[in-house]
Amino acid sequence: MSKQKKYTREQRGTVGRIESDNPRMTCRNVNVYYGDKHAIIDVSIDVGRNEVIAMIGPSGCGKSTFLRCLNRMNDTIPTCRVTGDIFLDDTDIYEKNIDVVPLRAQVGMVFQKPNPFPKSIYDNIAYGPRIHGLVGNRQEEDEIVETSLKKAGLWKEVQDRLNQPGTSLSGGQQQRLCIARTIAVSPEVILMDEPCSALDPIATAKIEELIDELREHYTIAIVTHSMQQAARVSQRTAYFHLGDLIEVGETKKIFTNPQHTLTEDYITGRFG
Amino acid sequence: MLTRKTKFLLWTLILIFSAGLSQAQARDYISIVGSSTVYPFATVVAEQFGKTTQFKTPKIEATGSGGGLKLFCTGVGIEYPDMTNASRRIKKSEVELCSTNGVKEVVEIKIGYDGIILANSRKAKPFRLSRKEVFWALAKNIPDPGGQQKLIPNPHTRWSDIKPGLPATKIEVLGPPPTSGTRDAFVELVMEEGAKKFDWIKALAKSDKAKFKEIAHTLREDGAFVEAGENDNLIVQKLDVNPAGLGIFGFSFLDQNGDKIQGAFVDGVEPTFEAIAEGEYPVSRPLYLYVKKAHAGVIPGVNEFLNEFTSEKAWGEDGYLADKGMIPMPEEERQAFRTDAQKLNTLNLE
Amino acid sequence: MNNTEPEQTDAAQPESPRTIDIVNKGLAKRYGREKRFKMYGFFAVAISLSFLALLFLTIFSNGYSAFYQTYVKLEVFFDPADIDVDDPANSNFPGLVKKTLRSEFPDVKKRKEKKKLYSLVSSGAAFQLQRMIEQQPELVGSTMTIEVPADDDVDMFMKGNISRDVPENERRISDRQLDWIDKWLKEGRIAKRFNTTFFTSGDSREPELAGILGALTGSIFTLALTLLLSFPVGVAAAMYLEEFAPRNRWIDLVEVNINNLAAVPSIVFGLLGLAVFINFFHLPRSAPLVGGLVLTLMTLPVIIIASRASLQSVPPSIREAALGVGASKVQTVLHHVLPLALPGMLTGTIIGIARALGETAPLLMIGMVAFIVDIPKGFTDPATALPVQIFLWADSPERGFVERTSAAIIVLLVLLVVINSLAVILRNRFERRW
Repeated sequence: MSKQKKYTREQRGTVGRIESDNPRMTCRNVNVYYGDKHAIIDVSIDVGRNEVIAMIGPSGCGKSTFLRCLNRMNDTIPTCRVTGDIFLDDTDIYEKNIDVVPLRAQVGMVFQKPNPFPKSIYDNIAYGPRIHGLVGNRQEEDEIVETSLKKAGLWKEVQDRLNQPGTSLSGGQQQRLCIARTIAVSPEVILMDEPCSALDPIATAKIEELIDELREHYTIAIVTHSMQQAARVSQRTAYFHLGDLIEVGETKKIFTNPQHTLTEDYITGRFG
Repeated sequence: MLTRKTKFLLWTLILIFSAGLSQAQARDYISIVGSSTVYPFATVVAEQFGKTTQFKTPKIEATGSGGGLKLFCTGVGIEYPDMTNASRRIKKSEVELCSTNGVKEVVEIKIGYDGIILANSRKAKPFRLSRKEVFWALAKNIPDPGGQQKLIPNPHTRWSDIKPGLPATKIEVLGPPPTSGTRDAFVELVMEEGAKKFDWIKALAKSDKAKFKEIAHTLREDGAFVEAGENDNLIVQKLDVNPAGLGIFGFSFLDQNGDKIQGAFVDGVEPTFEAIAEGEYPVSRPLYLYVKKAHAGVIPGVNEFLNEFTSEKAWGEDGYLADKGMIPMPEEERQAFRTDAQKLNTLNLE
Repeated sequence: MNNTEPEQTDAAQPESPRTIDIVNKGLAKRYGREKRFKMYGFFAVAISLSFLALLFLTIFSNGYSAFYQTYVKLEVFFDPADIDVDDPANSNFPGLVKKTLRSEFPDVKKRKEKKKLYSLVSSGAAFQLQRMIEQQPELVGSTMTIEVPADDDVDMFMKGNISRDVPENERRISDRQLDWIDKWLKEGRIAKRFNTTFFTSGDSREPELAGILGALTGSIFTLALTLLLSFPVGVAAAMYLEEFAPRNRWIDLVEVNINNLAAVPSIVFGLLGLAVFINFFHLPRSAPLVGGLVLTLMTLPVIIIASRASLQSVPPSIREAALGVGASKVQTVLHHVLPLALPGMLTGTIIGIARALGETAPLLMIGMVAFIVDIPKGFTDPATALPVQIFLWADSPERGFVERTSAAIIVLLVLLVVINSLAVILRNRFERRW
């Protein structure tokens, strides 16, 4: 183990390479405030094309907050204020005249707790395409539902009961339904906020498999507090600590050779 | 989907409103307001009129005499009532209000009399009271029995405290609230008259009217007088279970419930139909109907309704109003008011 | 424990009770407390139920007799001398009824006695004959047995509300009249039948002719308008306040005022309606149109408050899900939040409407407390409402109206039960889908 320079706890600047060779989203000097609370402090990071980037860190470190900045979900919180630049390709998504509706069609989101609409499985998937006008007739709708469910690996399980409520599925199936719902509108980036935290290991394994497959077509940012999961599914990992982005790097490197003491402490299980 | 529903709703609302506004332009029924004492009589005439003619049944609201006259005097036009009932005569101030609002021609028709009855349960003996004794029993403050010209709080708890011959039961009188015309009439015809039996108070009635009214109109608040609400049926029921109590009613309630309650003799006269009609029973009041002359011929049926009201089969001695408990006027009076009604002679209050 | 205070534990060791023993010792007390608590609850429910039962029992026992009415069979000869076929309205039908009665009892000669005889049957009998001739003019000249309603005093006597035993001058049925009734009874010509009049006619000053239909129709018109206006407006207002309104002082002020309005006595809304709808907009007095508007004002705050509460109870995850797939704010609310909140909104609306159904005070100011015989045919015809009818009948001197008052209350209660069950059914249907 070639011992490089170790960074101490007090140093809060980001260590590692924040840039990506082929960035899809570029974040520079992002600060988030909840009222007076400074929740994200000067974070800069790239999200690369067709990669899975994992965001890890102890509870309350701001990883979910940061993720929600990427499709402006934080807009729904009245006291929340975001400064800095976040670019999706070449557009600044925090620019004044940016419409969040098309933005969220491009940057989809999967939430911590499976939250299917209280409608049928079919309608859950078809809802997004419908409101965005992606489907013209019933046939196209059927197609999109089928392909989305197939991509989410749920088709075989639900093809006979598309008219049953989405809430009748098991937790893992519901989460895959939510993923299918997200990919039905063909987003470019998918944000996942601890998608497996409410699921059992078998369901989790299925979702992780799915994430790996989805990487071919989509850019994925995933927040997780399971380090094993981050190690399994991601190519790059970012470690957050109390609102600071401490370290970014290739997943393998982060887990085998963390640069910063805080990252090391977290990964080795000294705290977190 | 939802927008179509909303649109549909909006259109329905607009339609309802326009329908309402357009229909408000015409009225094909007579609108009557006024006294709740006259209400049971006027409604019988209205019903009879509606059933025997091709006109619609008049609509009658019980608003009280004062409220009725106020509405009546608001103006001329279909949105204002055509007639109002009153259990007292129109006041000069009301005539003035009428004429400032353009209601210059008003026809006054006296329709009959109503007796105010003090009644108790048939299970007890009938009361024999004078108005002075009623005043002694119910006024909040009474003249000092020592003869001095000052008031003392009413000390009487039993009827026998007032006069030895009266029953030794607790004074407990159930009566209507101040909003009622019956209460007005009771206070005016019994309490005021009772108070006037004292010379110095009688003198006060001329010199200091406000003071006099305060003495005569203030009823006891210590439980001897109970405001029993507007519902006279309820008073009848309460008397039935409380034989010691006394109630204040219009005559029609005595007439309908003769098996349960009996009228008290007032100044020696029993409240019978005949006694009130003859004018012997002292506590009776005239009932009036006021008609807007300008509405006759505009609202269909006004003349015909008056014709029905003033016919012998309605207000005559054997008419259906007498069946309902209204006391008819003597024949000459009926004749005179019938002529007024038919010719629409307008009131000249001087 | 053992580590920190060894001495004590050691000393107590031999008798030291095990946790399970302590728990067991207190167990009986704990269960006793629970049992008592359950008993309190049970008694509370039992007491309220028994009061309710008492209420129903009194009202029902007072009112059920109004569903029956005494009818008299009369042998009527439609005398062509009395009836003008071309103009039945001006024919002497009351005279025909009197003639029929005279022919039944030819020995009645004196004027006063005749009057007593005539008063045995309702004044409605003449109208009944008139209607028959209007519909079938060919009956003139024939003789028919016709059942006509008896007068309310006879009806009261037949129902046992007037006793034979009291002295003659104290009851409204004289001895002579009793004889006539007894004769009819012997011949089986006077009997009680189901009172259809009560459900098919409007108000009347004769108890035997009075019916509930006019007031019921008035109530239906008024409440239909109230529902039509207050539900969409209330839901829209709640939605705006809850989902879209900016958080500022003005909105706070509006919210405080809505909460205040829900507690304002209903008579105030009547005064408002009088000032605004009648005096300013010149809408007709006594019309369900104005009644509906006034009751809408009264019901709106209730609906808004209930709707907001049910919007608040929709889990935020549903909103996030919709926003996450790119639905706009309005789409999120209309497609996802509203359907989930609807059952709660419906419940609030039904509570508001049920309260509106029982209101008289605001209707007093706008002239709906009135004697109205004709059954309203539209939103602008003069009308009363059910509670108003109850109020008016309760104040009528005739004995027959006492039972009719209770009967009208029964109808009102039945209507309330129907409305509430409808609410439950609707709610379950909306909820059962998911």
